[in-house]
Amino acid sequence: MNIDWSIVIGFLPALLNGAKITLYITVTGLIGGIALGAVIGLMRAYGGYILNTLAFIYVEIIRGTPIVVQVMFLYFALPVLVDIRIDPMTTAILAIVINAGAYVAEIVRGAVLSISKGLTEAGRAIGLPRWKVVVYIVGPLAFRRLIPPLGNQCIVSLKDTSLFIVIGVGELTRTGQEIMAANFRAVEIWTAVAVFYLIMTGTLSLLLRIIEKRMRIL
Amino acid sequence: MSAIIEFKNVSKHFGQLKVLDKVDLDINRGEVVVLIGPSGSGKSTLLRCINGLEMITSGDLLVDGMSVKGGNKTLREIRQEAGMVFQQFNLFPQMTALENVAFGQRHVRKMGRKAADNSAQELLEKVGLGDKSKHYPHELSGGQQQRVAIARALAIKPKVMLFDEPTSALDPELKQEVLNVMQKLAEEQMTMVVVTHEMSFAKQVGTRLIFMEHGKIAVDANPVDVIDNPPNDRMKDFLRHV
Repeated sequence: MNIDWSIVIGFLPALLNGAKITLYITVTGLIGGIALGAVIGLMRAYGGYILNTLAFIYVEIIRGTPIVVQVMFLYFALPVLVDIRIDPMTTAILAIVINAGAYVAEIVRGAVLSISKGLTEAGRAIGLPRWKVVVYIVGPLAFRRLIPPLGNQCIVSLKDTSLFIVIGVGELTRTGQEIMAANFRAVEIWTAVAVFYLIMTGTLSLLLRIIEKRMRIL
Repeated sequence: MSAIIEFKNVSKHFGQLKVLDKVDLDINRGEVVVLIGPSGSGKSTLLRCINGLEMITSGDLLVDGMSVKGGNKTLREIRQEAGMVFQQFNLFPQMTALENVAFGQRHVRKMGRKAADNSAQELLEKVGLGDKSKHYPHELSGGQQQRVAIARALAIKPKVMLFDEPTSALDPELKQEVLNVMQKLAEEQMTMVVVTHEMSFAKQVGTRLIFMEHGKIAVDANPVDVIDNPPNDRMKDFLRHV
């Protein structure tokens, strides 16, 4: 067994480029996913019967199927069904939006419902309209409780982008595999790929810890 | 004296459970009505129907001439006429004492920040907490929190104050500071409806005592007359236990 770490250096630009694509899919996907999740979560918490049921069905379908199946469906089945063709990159981002959206919805719902009913009543009792109670009282409190599980979801979504190897998006894992296929340096390349992921998730963790420290849970 | 709160044949059901049973009750301006009764007798529900935190099932309930069945907008107007103080204080934990009190004025009464802060400070001084304005609720004792809650309710300039067991969550030595603030309010002719177990408060401050049982008003009389001389056995039995 001869292991030569120096070969990694030559592939650093390619890996870096893969990591950039991973980061791009994660960040854009999560922005969409958090926005979607917030709406769906609020529908679950405050919506009437119809909105609540629709949101519930969405969450159950997405949580109940693997993300690989979801991305395959978007990429291969959707064109057959409705004649919509989307490129791999857009598919990847969309998959993160839809997938993270479902989990974030449950996080938002849980955070909102964990805020004491008494505070909502106190807000209503001084004559506030319902939306102001949500925006000014429940919202800021729920937001604080949202941070830890939301951070967890960000890390999960970042790692989920590695599955987009199946539709040929040139993200980090795919890049690693392509290099591997050419030189069979499995130990060096997969170690390097793992380190890249660790740097990204590690930075995210650190960021979260800083935010959490600055925000007291009330 | 004219009635500011009028219960007209009001019933309230939670599913099959009948909590208020055809209640008729007029409360006049300036009265301090003390509501007592065993748990489950409907006293808290009666109070919460007044500002529409619970919707009545049948009958009608007027506050300052407005019906609680008048829709969301009317309900918000009613809530601006009827301030409420809760057993668990329910102060907004992300806001300081001053912000808690000023919040309603700014967002409900549409007062500017400066004016709201000034009047909030005055109200905090009135409840004896002028020096605590920058403290967050978790930095205050239960009694102090409840006094801030009273100031918050007063800030929207209500015509009636509703108290839902305001001292039940407090240690005995902290109850008195809250009761003193309430007494001061009564002396200023504030109309008050108070659910409480504090019989000495009922006797000293109350102008009217209502004993509730099974969702009905069983006794409605002068507190001094009936506390020492309960007109029926159920009330006698109840008073022995508080």
